[in-house]
Amino acid sequence: MCFMCEQFGDPEHGDGIWYLNPRNYARNMYKLRAPGEGFKGAEVGLETGARAGPSHQDLMNAVENNDKAEFERIREILQKTGQGSMVVPRDDADRVLELCSPIALMSCICRKGIRAIDERNEREYTCMGMGVGMLKWERWPERYKGGVKFVNADEAIEWNHEMDDRGFVHILMLFGAPFIGGFCQCDYPDCGSLRNGVDFGLGVLKSHYLAQVDYEQCNGCGICAQRCQWGALKFETTTGKANIDQFKCFGCGLCHTACPREAISLVRRDTVPAVAEVWL
Amino acid sequence: MTMPTKIPEFIWGRKYPKIAIDMEKCTVPFLCKKCLQICPEGVFHVTRVMSKEKRLEEMDPRIDGNYVLFATRRDKCTGCNLCIDVCPVDAIKIEIPAMERLRPDVSGEQWTSQ
Repeated sequence: MCFMCEQFGDPEHGDGIWYLNPRNYARNMYKLRAPGEGFKGAEVGLETGARAGPSHQDLMNAVENNDKAEFERIREILQKTGQGSMVVPRDDADRVLELCSPIALMSCICRKGIRAIDERNEREYTCMGMGVGMLKWERWPERYKGGVKFVNADEAIEWNHEMDDRGFVHILMLFGAPFIGGFCQCDYPDCGSLRNGVDFGLGVLKSHYLAQVDYEQCNGCGICAQRCQWGALKFETTTGKANIDQFKCFGCGLCHTACPREAISLVRRDTVPAVAEVWL
Repeated sequence: MTMPTKIPEFIWGRKYPKIAIDMEKCTVPFLCKKCLQICPEGVFHVTRVMSKEKRLEEMDPRIDGNYVLFATRRDKCTGCNLCIDVCPVDAIKIEIPAMERLRPDVSGEQWTSQ
């Protein structure tokens, strides 16, 4: 069983899956900042949206200085503060969108930083803020230039499917585990969270699912091969069919939703023993 | 909370490229954005100038010096020099450290420079 579900799941909601537990959207992400003080940083642990803690820059310095102990120390702090994210397939994301309120579309801060792409209206927005934090968006005019668009569940699901067609990976963002404060549409290298996960083995948790190919159905059209962001799915020249490395698969389901012959299915990760506990 | 993790295989002790950006020359990176969009590895990062007084204000990227360019992900820089070629004001300097030939260390698990 998923270690997040063990701690944060509720058997009465969403089959015990932690991100289908409504409590995880209800926590106030700002409440633990003491009055008159800034963010306390990483030393507080789970209790804060630690922005003052170390970053991947410090990890890079540790690699340069050949200091494995320092690297482990920083990584532990970053993990302890729950500054992570989890990949979810499209249909699970739909269930999340039905559960959470308020939800609002907004511009993506990662694409703005890394590629200088300025999303200024609701047709361009590729990011979503969730929960009570969004009610305070006007306090950060620089972050939310052009505003946000509050949407209902149906509009959000339609938007989610549109993003899936474009080929983005769906990621739930943690702001101090288990509080979920955002729902992002990501790809490498534009997404800061994915980069930390792929480059430094940090933060991005794989989904509860794995993609598997039905070789009877697969005709080797290769549509799925363009969609994999993780280097897990490739067109296997010898057999002329798609091949998925189960250890690399993040279970984002992009290949599953793209397949015209329904040859790729998502199975629960815990039904495959060797990768049942591979979350990073 | 501890998350189970897998450590990627780093080459411990290797030096990453150093990228210097001349702030005097590069004044409106958010509008220019040539290097940001051409870099295959997405090394650069543009952000507004952080200062305590202006923390809650919206800043106009068209005004000189409101936004600054950083080479945040310099660990991924390959030294292909595309950004230097495309920069209209010649503000980027890349210093690639001497790369040693890498061989597998038979006694250990990872690749080391010898």
